[in-house]
Amino acid sequence: MPISRFRRVLLCGTFAALILTVALLAAACGSTPEESTTSTTIAPSTTSTSTAATESTTTTAGQTSQEFVFGMLFVGPYNDHGWSQAHYEAGTYVESKLPGAKMIYVDKANTSDRPGTTPDQLAEDLVNQGAQMIFFTSDDMKDGAYAFARNHPNIPVVFASGDGAWKDGKDYQNLPNLSDVMGKMEYGKMIAGVAAALTTQTGKIGYLGPLINDETRRLAASVYLGAKYAWTELLKKNPADLKFTVNWIGFWFNIPGVTSDPTQVADNFYNQGFDVVVSGIDTTEALVEAGRLSEAGKKVWAIPYDYVGALDEAPTVALGVPYFNWGPAYLQYVTAAREGQWSSFWQWLAPDWTDINNPDTSIVGFKKGEGLSADASAKVDDFTKALAGGLNLWTGPLNLQDGAPYLKDGEVATDQQIWYLPQLLQGMEGQSVSE
Amino acid sequence: MSDARTSHSTPTRLRSLLTGDAWINFGLQIGALILAFLLTSCILLVAGAPPFEAYKQVFLGAVGSVTSFSNVLVAWVPLLLAAAGVLVTFAAGLWNIGVEGQIVLGAVLTTWVLRLLQDTAISPVVIILLAILAGVVGGALWAVLAGVLKTFGGVNEIFGGLGLNFVATALTLWLIFGPWKRPGIGSMSGTEPFPERLGLPTMAGLRVSPWSLGLGILAVILVFVLLERTYFGLRLKAVGKNTRAAFLLGVPTWQYGLLAFLFCGGLAGLAGAIQVTSVYHRLIPAISSGYGFMGLMIGMLIAYRAIWVAPVALFFAALNIGSIQLPIVLKLDSTLSGVLQGALVLFVLLVEGARQRYMRRVRMRIAAPTTLEAPLSASGET
Amino acid sequence: MEVQLLDIRKHFGPIKANDGISLSVPAGTIQGILGENGAGKSTLMKILSGFQPADNGSILLDGREVAMKSPADALRLGVGMLHQDPLDFPAMRVADNLLIGAPGGIRLHRSQLRASLAEHARSVGLALDLKADVSSLTVSERQQVELMRLLWLGARVLILDEPTTGISAAQKAELFSTLRRLAERGKTVIFVSHKLEEIQELCTRVAVLKQGRLVGEATPPYSVRQLVNMIFEREVTPGARAACAPGGPILKLSSLAVERGRIRLEGLDLEVRETETIGLAGMEGSGQSLLLKACAGLLPPVEGRVTMLGQELAGKPYHYFKRNGVAYVPAARLEEGLIAGLTLTDHFLLTQRKPGFFIDREKGRSIAQERIAEFNIRGTPSNTAESLSGGNQQRALLAIMKPEAKLMLLEHPTRGLDIESVIYVWRKLKERCNAGGAIIFSSSDLDELLRYSDRILVFFAGRVSTPLDADSTSVEELGRLIGGGSV
Repeated sequence: MPISRFRRVLLCGTFAALILTVALLAAACGSTPEESTTSTTIAPSTTSTSTAATESTTTTAGQTSQEFVFGMLFVGPYNDHGWSQAHYEAGTYVESKLPGAKMIYVDKANTSDRPGTTPDQLAEDLVNQGAQMIFFTSDDMKDGAYAFARNHPNIPVVFASGDGAWKDGKDYQNLPNLSDVMGKMEYGKMIAGVAAALTTQTGKIGYLGPLINDETRRLAASVYLGAKYAWTELLKKNPADLKFTVNWIGFWFNIPGVTSDPTQVADNFYNQGFDVVVSGIDTTEALVEAGRLSEAGKKVWAIPYDYVGALDEAPTVALGVPYFNWGPAYLQYVTAAREGQWSSFWQWLAPDWTDINNPDTSIVGFKKGEGLSADASAKVDDFTKALAGGLNLWTGPLNLQDGAPYLKDGEVATDQQIWYLPQLLQGMEGQSVSE
Repeated sequence: MSDARTSHSTPTRLRSLLTGDAWINFGLQIGALILAFLLTSCILLVAGAPPFEAYKQVFLGAVGSVTSFSNVLVAWVPLLLAAAGVLVTFAAGLWNIGVEGQIVLGAVLTTWVLRLLQDTAISPVVIILLAILAGVVGGALWAVLAGVLKTFGGVNEIFGGLGLNFVATALTLWLIFGPWKRPGIGSMSGTEPFPERLGLPTMAGLRVSPWSLGLGILAVILVFVLLERTYFGLRLKAVGKNTRAAFLLGVPTWQYGLLAFLFCGGLAGLAGAIQVTSVYHRLIPAISSGYGFMGLMIGMLIAYRAIWVAPVALFFAALNIGSIQLPIVLKLDSTLSGVLQGALVLFVLLVEGARQRYMRRVRMRIAAPTTLEAPLSASGET
Repeated sequence: MEVQLLDIRKHFGPIKANDGISLSVPAGTIQGILGENGAGKSTLMKILSGFQPADNGSILLDGREVAMKSPADALRLGVGMLHQDPLDFPAMRVADNLLIGAPGGIRLHRSQLRASLAEHARSVGLALDLKADVSSLTVSERQQVELMRLLWLGARVLILDEPTTGISAAQKAELFSTLRRLAERGKTVIFVSHKLEEIQELCTRVAVLKQGRLVGEATPPYSVRQLVNMIFEREVTPGARAACAPGGPILKLSSLAVERGRIRLEGLDLEVRETETIGLAGMEGSGQSLLLKACAGLLPPVEGRVTMLGQELAGKPYHYFKRNGVAYVPAARLEEGLIAGLTLTDHFLLTQRKPGFFIDREKGRSIAQERIAEFNIRGTPSNTAESLSGGNQQRALLAIMKPEAKLMLLEHPTRGLDIESVIYVWRKLKERCNAGGAIIFSSSDLDELLRYSDRILVFFAGRVSTPLDADSTSVEELGRLIGGGSV
C-alpha cells in the first residue's frame, strides 16, 4: 500500500515538474522576447560568454588572432567526393588562409538523414556552438536559409546557388543579412560537353541529372551546347547524329527508396549504347559505374561534377571534371563578416580566365582526366581559350525543347534568361519539368 | 473476511514485491538504463570518443538553451502522439507497425486540404482546423485499413502495416514528384511551402507552437483517461490480454480491435498533420521522421503504461535533438542516439524477461502453481 | 529394460502432484497409466523422463538406481519420451531432424548417418521417407519420426503421453501395432491415457492414478467397471442431493446435429425445464463439450433447432445467446474464463450490466467487495485473476456470471477443486437454479453427476444415451455406460 502510494506521488511529481517546465518556458518567452533573440544573435565582435564556456578555450589558446567561427551546413556527407566536399574543402581553405577562422559544420543536413530537423534549426545548433556566420550550401535548404536569415538578422548568411538576394531575380527576399553566391558553372559544363562529344564513339551522350529546377536545366543545357558545338564545329558531323539524353533521379544524391538509384540510371545509359555519361548530381556513381564497366571491357567514359578530387574514383575512364572552388570567395565573405563589413549581395562569379584552375582565384575550373585522348585534350584547351576570348554558346538562334523560340539569331542570352531557363533546349531528350 | 485477510497478508506482500509492483521493478529499470548507457559508452570508446563529453554535449544540445529545448518540444509532440496512439493498439494486443504510414497519410491529407483551400477566401484558422481534421481522418482510415485486412483478410497486422507503410511512402513520393510538384521543379525535397498564415502560430522567436503542444498533451491525457478510467479501455485491455475470454465475457472483440486501430490512426494522423502545419509547412518524403517506429519503441519501453508516455517521449525527443551536437562538436555520427534508444529498449525487455523467469521459479516454491495442472481435490487453497 | 519407481513424491506448494507412487514395469511390457486430468500422470512421466526432478523417491533401471537431471540424461540412460505435440523442427527433412540429436562433432556425415538410419528404421519395422519434409507429415507420421529418433538415440523405455490426440483411427491402429512390435523386441512402453478403450486395446498391464496416488493395478482381461471405479471413486461424500421440482421449459433442442473434428453428434432432442440440472457424463472428448458449445451459440449446429424460452437461436452469434439469458462457463478457467492480468474488480466491471462511459473505481471496488464476500472468494478486489487459486478462480467465474442468466452451461465446474469448494460452488449454482434457472454441466466425477443432476446424458464416442433419471441410476450403471455398454 505505502509503496504504491509513493509511486503515484513520484509519477505525479514527474508530471508536475514537466508541466512546470513548460509553463516556465512559456513565461520566459512571453515576458522577455528580446533576451531570447539576443542570446541567439551574437554580433561578430562580441563573442558571448556562454559561447566561450561551451567552446573549449584550449584550441584557441595558442592563437593570437581573434577567433571567428563560421558554421556550414552540407546537404550530403562532407566527404562525398562531390558538391558537399567542395564546400567542406572551401571551409578548410578559409581556416588555412585566415588565422583564427574556425569552421564547424553539420553534414547530411537533409530530412532523410536527419529526420525531424530543418536547416534553420540545424543552423541554430551551429550558432549555439559559437558560429557567428552561417553557410547554407544547398538549394535544398532554401526555405530554411530564408527563415533563418529572417529570424537572425544580425547573423551573416551565405546561401550558395540561391537567388534570394538578387534584386533583379524572381525570388528576391530583401533580407539585409542574406547573400547568395554561385559560380558560372555553365562554362565548366560547356567544356565537359566538348570533352564528351569529342570522345563519344556512338554519338550518344547521357546526362545523369539530379532534380529538375532552373539551375539543373541550365547546367544540362550548357553541357548540350558544348557537345553540339564540338560535334558540329570541331568534328564537322551531322547534328542529327548526336543524341543527348537527360535522366533525372529526383534529388541531389541517392536516397534509397526515395530517388531513382543513380548507379542504376548510369548503368541503363551504358547498356543502351550511351558511351559517355556526364553527371550533374552531387556524388560520383556515374564515374564509379564507368570504371566498373571499363574493367569488364566496355569502352565507356564519364564526367563527374563538383569536386576536383572526384576524378580519383576511376581515373582512367574520367574525361575530366568541371568543379567548384568556393574557397577564395568564401575567404572574402568570412573576412568581411569578421570585420563587420557584411552586406547583402548576389554574386554569380565567372572563372578566372587567365587560369581557370587557379585555386586562389577561380571559382569554377575544369580538370582534365586520363580518359581524354591527346587530340581531344588539345581541342578542349583550345575551346577553353576560345571561351576566355569571348566565345559565347548562349547565342541565338536557340529554341526551347518544345520548339518555342528562346533566342533569336544573334541574340545573346541575359543573366536572367540563362539563370531561369524554363525548359531544356531543342535537341535534348528528357523531361524539362516533372510529369 | 478479516481472518482471510490476515492469513493472506504475508504472501500477498511477498507476491506484490515479486510481481515487481514497486521498488524492485523501479530498480531493475534503472539497472537497464545503466546497462544501456554502458553499452553505448563502450561503442563510443571503440569509436574513439570520450563518452562523458558526448553525453554532456547531447544534454546541453537538448536543454542548454531555450531555443534548443523548444526544438525538443517540437519533436516531442509528434512522438507523444505516436506513442500514445500505439499504447491504445498495444492495449488491444495489436502491433500497429503501420503507425508510420498512418502519420504519412495524415500529413498527405492535411497537405491536400491546405492545397485545396490555400487560395480561397476562407479564414486561415478554419483552413488549418479542416486540414488537421483531415489529417486525423487520413491516419484513422489508413489504420482501419490495416485492421480490416487483419479482421476480414486474415493478414497479420504487422505485415499489413508494413505493406501499408510502403504504399504510403510510394504515394507521397508520387505526389511530390508528380501532381504536387513545385512549379517548374521536379525534386524529391518536397512540395511548395505553404504561406506562413497556414501554419500553427509559434511562440515568439521559437519553433514550437503552443497549439501543437496543447494537442499533444491533450492526446496523452485522453489516452490515459481512456485506458485507465473508461469501460472502453478496460474492454480493450481484456481483448488484448485474452481475446477468447474477453469474447466469452461478452466483449465484441474484433470491433474493439478496429476501434483501437481507428484511435491510434487518428492520433498518428494528427502527428502527421502537425508535422505539416507546424514543422515542415509542406509535404516531404520523410515527413514522419521515423516518429512512428520510435513511438513503438517507447510503447515497449514503458510496458504500455500510459503514465510514462510523456516523460519517456520527452527523453527520446531530447536525445534526438541533443545528438545533433555530436557531429558538430565530436565529429560523431548522430545515429548514436538511435543506438542508445535501441539499447535501452533491449535492456529493459531483457531485464523484464529475466525478472519474470526468476519470479516464476520463486513463485513455484512459495505458492501453488495456479496455471499448472492441479490434482483433483488437493487442498490447494492458498 | 525394467523400470522401477519407488515412493515418488512431487509437490507444487501445498498440492501433492505425486504422493508416494511406487510402480514396477517389467521389460517388454506395454504399461498403461490411467487417470483423469490432474491425477498426476504427466508429472510422474516428466520425472521419469528427466524433465523435472522428484522431491523424493528413486528411479531404478534394470535394478540400478539412476539420477536424471535432464531429458538428455534420461535418454543416455535409455528413457525417451514422446510428447503430446512431437517436438520437431518442421521446416526440415526427416533425416536432418533425426540427426539433430545425434552425438558427434559439428560436421555432419550425412550420407553415412542416413544409411545407418535407414538400416535402423528397417530393423524396428518403421517405414520412413527420410527425404520428406517434416512439415508435410501428418501428426502420426511425425510421431513415427520422433519414435525413430528416440530409438536411434538408444531409448529402451518409451514413454508416450496421450499420443492418440488428434490422429485418425487408422493412424491409431498403426501406432498401436508399432508399439506392440517394439514391445515384442524387448522395449518397455509406457502409455499414458485417460481413454479406457485405448488402454484396454493396447496395454498388457495398467496402473490407475488418482489424486497423485497409485490407486490400483490391473492386467487383462480388464473389468471396465473396476477401472471406472478406481478412476472416479471419491472418498468424501458430501450432503445428499437436493431435488427441485422442474418448472416451465427453458431450452429445447430438436434433432440437433453438431460436428467438430472427428466427433459428430446427431439427432439430439432434449428439453430442459426451469430448476432442472442436466449432467453430461462420459470419457473426456466424447462430445459433451460440443453439446455445451452448441447450446451456448459457440458452435453453429449443422442442422436442427435450439429454442430458448420459445425463441429460435440456432445460427445466431454467441453474444446474441448471451443477451438472451445463456451463460457459458468454460473448463479452462484462466485460458477462456478469466483474463490473466486483470483484477477481480476489472472482471466485475467488464461484466457489468449497464456500464456508462467512465469507470467509477470506487463503485467497482464496492461491487467487487460485495461479490467477493457473497461468493466467499479468498482474494481482494485488486488481486489479479491468475493470483487466485483454482477454487477461487471458479468462484470468481460464477460471481461474474450474469445473475439474470436463465441457462447456465458449465464445463467441469468443479474440476481440481477441494471438496469444500465443490460443495460451495454447487450450493451457489443450486440457489440460482432454484430461482428459476437451469443448468447443463459436464463432469468426469460420477458422484457429482449423480448427486447434482436431475437427469444424465451419457456420451460415448459421439453417441448420446437417452436421458437417465439420476435417482434411479447407480455409479456402477453409469460406469458401465461410460465404458461403452448399452442402456
